[in-house]
Amino acid sequence: MIKFEGRVTAIGPYVSEFIDAGILVLFGQGAPEELAEFAILHDGTTLQGELRAGDTVCVDEACFQVLAVGEVAGANLSNLGHLVLKFNGEHEVEMPGDVCVEAGRIPEVIIGTIIRVEG
Amino acid sequence: MSEEKQYRKVKVTAGKRGWGGPLVIEPKPDKPYIYCVTGGGIHPIAQRIADLTGGEAFDGFKSKRDFSEIAVAVIDCGGTARIGVYPMKGVLTIDIHATKPSGPLFRFIKAENFVSGVGPDDIQLID
Repeated sequence: MIKFEGRVTAIGPYVSEFIDAGILVLFGQGAPEELAEFAILHDGTTLQGELRAGDTVCVDEACFQVLAVGEVAGANLSNLGHLVLKFNGEHEVEMPGDVCVEAGRIPEVIIGTIIRVEG
Repeated sequence: MSEEKQYRKVKVTAGKRGWGGPLVIEPKPDKPYIYCVTGGGIHPIAQRIADLTGGEAFDGFKSKRDFSEIAVAVIDCGGTARIGVYPMKGVLTIDIHATKPSGPLFRFIKAENFVSGVGPDDIQLID
């Protein structure tokens, strides 16, 4: 089942600071400008069900297994379209908003990229 | 001369598992806003600060003000993005969640500009 899906609409000028740290930061439409500067904006709005370890996050065709989900990550995604993806291979989150996925190179994100959570 | 609005100050301390602070929040005529960046309307913590100080709470997902007019930002950040953005912009920051300096912008987060894990009882009016 597709739990969440959004199409990338804008990429902030400072997104690379987070990518260099192995992190993708997503926000939904309507994020304040100072957050949009650091984030990938998308048009996804609705989270179906709960975000869980074992789900899969896909950036276009590149898919990563979810290993750990922080306690506020689901609410962030549901309320704000906000997702913090750490491509670090960790099975325990460091921060409550984190979603840890398999370690790997972060796929290229461009306008129109589809970001999807399946589970 | 028109009557000038009177503002009061609050002291905000870190909650049990929180970090940083204490911060003194003091809205002023040219810096009256309590900036709520939590989504879903005005968070009760932002509302409480507005009620106690006479500041004006507004929802960052609905409208915008200059950073220079913002007395404090209230966030519910899980520890990566918002946690560092407002300290970097020179805005005092309260995180509802009990986070510690982290994320790529962690170097901007100091006890002098950030306090976390804040609940209603951690906000006290001072003279």
